[in-house]
Amino acid sequence: MRATPLQTALLYAAVILTSAILVFPIYWLVITALSQPDQLRQLPPSFWPSEPRWGVFKKIFEERPILLWLGNSALAAIGAVTISMVVSVLAGYSLSRFRVRGGQSLGLFILTAKMLPATLLVIPLFGIFRTVGLIGSMWSIILAHATLIIPFTTWMLKGYFDTIPRELEQAAMVDGCSPLGALFRVILPVSAPGLAATALYGFVLSWSDYAYARTFLTNAQQNWTANLGITTMKGEYVSNWSDISAASILIALPVLLIYLFLERYLVGGLTAGSDK
Amino acid sequence: MAGKRLLDLARPSRQHWLGYLLLLPAVLLIGAIIVYPLFVSVDLSFQNVGIARLDLPRRPFTTDNYARLFASPDFWNACWVTLKLVVVVTTACFLLGLGTALLVNNRFRGRAIARLFVAMPWAVPEVIAVVIFAWLFDSSFGLFNWLLIKLGLIDQTIAWFSEPGPAFAAVATTMIWKGYPFVSIMTLAGLQSIPEDYYAAARVDGANAWQRLTNITLPSLMPVLGVTIVLVMLWIFRDFSIIYVLTGGGPLKATQTLSIMTYEQAFSFFKMGYASAIGIITLVICIIAAKLLMGRAPESL
Repeated sequence: MRATPLQTALLYAAVILTSAILVFPIYWLVITALSQPDQLRQLPPSFWPSEPRWGVFKKIFEERPILLWLGNSALAAIGAVTISMVVSVLAGYSLSRFRVRGGQSLGLFILTAKMLPATLLVIPLFGIFRTVGLIGSMWSIILAHATLIIPFTTWMLKGYFDTIPRELEQAAMVDGCSPLGALFRVILPVSAPGLAATALYGFVLSWSDYAYARTFLTNAQQNWTANLGITTMKGEYVSNWSDISAASILIALPVLLIYLFLERYLVGGLTAGSDK
Repeated sequence: MAGKRLLDLARPSRQHWLGYLLLLPAVLLIGAIIVYPLFVSVDLSFQNVGIARLDLPRRPFTTDNYARLFASPDFWNACWVTLKLVVVVTTACFLLGLGTALLVNNRFRGRAIARLFVAMPWAVPEVIAVVIFAWLFDSSFGLFNWLLIKLGLIDQTIAWFSEPGPAFAAVATTMIWKGYPFVSIMTLAGLQSIPEDYYAAARVDGANAWQRLTNITLPSLMPVLGVTIVLVMLWIFRDFSIIYVLTGGGPLKATQTLSIMTYEQAFSFFKMGYASAIGIITLVICIIAAKLLMGRAPESL
């Protein structure tokens, strides 16, 4: 059954209108960044700046420690993802290949851990980190972010390992590989796309955190993450929306890029464990 | 030589020391940063604690925190705000997500790009979404006030963040924009798994588009949508950054959910025992709600 030209036109109109409305806030963020500050205090607003102010990006790099914030966010994300991946690769492989006593319950507990409210966990973590002197250090959020990431990565990786035929390890072991050797030399190399997608998903989770950074790092300005830094700009007495928007674009960019590359893998991350 | 002790992975019943060894790092780390803190927070909720320190002696056991909590109008207000937000945002995310997914699931040129676009807010960090909407809802030069006046819906500008009703609307709008793409993505994944034959057969039987939607598409999507709705509700229930950065729970606690109240009690008023009690109650509500809605153990999450 072929669509009539009218149906096709209506479909295109609906798709374009819907996308335009839903993506408009992102467009408006970009336009705000590129507008002159006094242009933003005019009504009616201009939907296209007469002279795009590209210099704003240079300006915020000079006036704000934005590079430091982005670097701290990256450091926290890389640290948390590294720890989570090491732990999750091993655990995911075990859950996928071995029948270990208590393994099932551990897997279920890890899944349920996704339900924990950060506002609940942040209180005891604060007490623990305060006792051992980690408040204000990068380790506090690296460990806190690991609590967000591990439940996702473990199940994503278990699901990925489940799709790899066991015959691969069998063959390797018949050739004299140890079981651990089979994991590191055979399974991990063929899982590279799955590992990359999982790690990037963990990166997004860490990059998006605000609650833990706000709680543990507020008094350690040199360790502020990007999300924490931007909220201090928003809280200033006179908000300079143009500068804030420019900084926001830089902070959102890594995640947007990951999204564009990762869209096909996303569903795996969002649904990890749901078919259990 | 290794023949006799070869690990047979084809037999999943096989118990092997390696299986335990591989789980060990996860068990230790999760024990240290999730299980132990959880235990501490239950413990804190039964003590009269200001700022938590674990090297000080434990305070005496008391159920005061819970007693005070259930007697506090703020707690019931937070429950009510949370419930309103969950109902409003979940419904809107569901309709918008389902609608956009069905729309871009049609066959047309540029479909891949359209799919990227409709789910794009997923990729905007929550704090950045707040920046965007704080500016859109700005009381003097925000676009929304200008648009609403232009459309003749309001006579004078609304101070979105100084009045309870408008502040709630602003928070809900931001959360809907940030939350609906998850429903789109999940629905699109669910749509892939419906066999094309079903539709072909329905067409042969003369079913129109509406009948195909209500008799094939929606019933086939039900399992996916069920899980998705629960996940969206849990997200709203636990969300901290959107509300905290946008309104801080105000004005007049109009946007103070249980999560915001927990955080405020712990880190603005430094009543960590009391705050832990609210957090534990929040978690219990989450688990019960998830169980009720899924009709089975929370393992599907």
